[in-house]
Amino acid sequence: METSKEILTELQEIAPNLGITSIARTPYAIPAGFFEGFPESLMNRIHREAAYSESDTGQQSAEASPLLEIEEISPLLAGLKNKSTYQVPTGYFENLKTKIPALESKPLTSKTKQVPVFTLKFVKYAVAACLIALLGTAIFNLTYHKTTDPIKDLVNVSEQDMANYLDSDDIHWTPGIATSSVSIDFSENDVHDLLSTVPDDELEKYSATLPEDKRNVN
Amino acid sequence: MAEQKSDTELLALFREPASKEKAFTEIVKKYQERLYWHIRRMLVDHEDSNDVMQNVFIRVWNALSGFREDAQLYTWLYRIATNECLTFIEQQKKKASVSLNELESGLSNKIMADKDFNANKLEWKLQLAIQQLPEKQRVVFMLRYYDEMPYDEMSKVLDTSAGALKASYHHAAKKIEDFILNH
Repeated sequence: METSKEILTELQEIAPNLGITSIARTPYAIPAGFFEGFPESLMNRIHREAAYSESDTGQQSAEASPLLEIEEISPLLAGLKNKSTYQVPTGYFENLKTKIPALESKPLTSKTKQVPVFTLKFVKYAVAACLIALLGTAIFNLTYHKTTDPIKDLVNVSEQDMANYLDSDDIHWTPGIATSSVSIDFSENDVHDLLSTVPDDELEKYSATLPEDKRNVN
Repeated sequence: MAEQKSDTELLALFREPASKEKAFTEIVKKYQERLYWHIRRMLVDHEDSNDVMQNVFIRVWNALSGFREDAQLYTWLYRIATNECLTFIEQQKKKASVSLNELESGLSNKIMADKDFNANKLEWKLQLAIQQLPEKQRVVFMLRYYDEMPYDEMSKVLDTSAGALKASYHHAAKKIEDFILNH
């Protein structure tokens, strides 16, 4: 345990000007008799706070009796409590029931039947209907809405059917398509190259099928 | 004059319902002056110090039955008093919405407003110098300088190592001396 002398020596080493004993006196003044009266005033406060906390605890039981509470706060208000200034027509409360027809026709004790908006049965049917609709749509789509490739399907068409179709007058050429085919340019060399692989007898056979004015193929 | 009872004796009496109040009054009488000056040097104003000291002893009244005697009673009292002072200062700052610097200058103004204030006297200069210190350094300086508290006891009051407290005290003493010499 350090002594006062040791503490003073330490201070004189750090700050010699502070190591003067007279400076250590706190210059503040205090009211006369403050320390003599402090314990008593403190105990009074402790008793007062204890009394408040006790009354806080007792408040719950007082709340159960509003009449006692108001009598404690203001006896005047407690006396006025049951004195009403407003007047009610004679027999108002006795006749009040007959003015509500619904109450007249039905006894008050009868139980009102509650009709639930959504019964369990209703929900079951709704779910079943949704499932059937979903299944039906799926089957319909699988049966009638197959995605097909028209070019692949031509393989299944017989040559006779194809010839009949081409001979029929139902074919309508789209003008754009017709002109686009015409617009392809073939040079003379291209034609020679294309026909070079075709045998001469084939060409002669083909030439025989053409009208006379178009037979001059070089 | 009756011989003053030891802390252990007073605590034993406090635990007996019949002697509880008497023992508590004895404890208050024993420590009130030391605690008052500790609080007053922190807060400067007497009314504030009185309020805080009452709050300190009410806390003590409520918690003393659970006090463990492995700590010294006076260390425990100083700890409560210091915490109450710091809480009070925090509340003042919040209430007035002022910064720490403004609050410190406010405390200096309070010192200078004292009817006995004398700027030429060293003890008043010292009080002004103390208010320039940061809060914790101020507590360390006052506990050591005025209350002559050993570092190991102070360590229990402030929850800080003795080494850190020693360094803090050295810094504080140097700052105060500089202030006194230059003002």
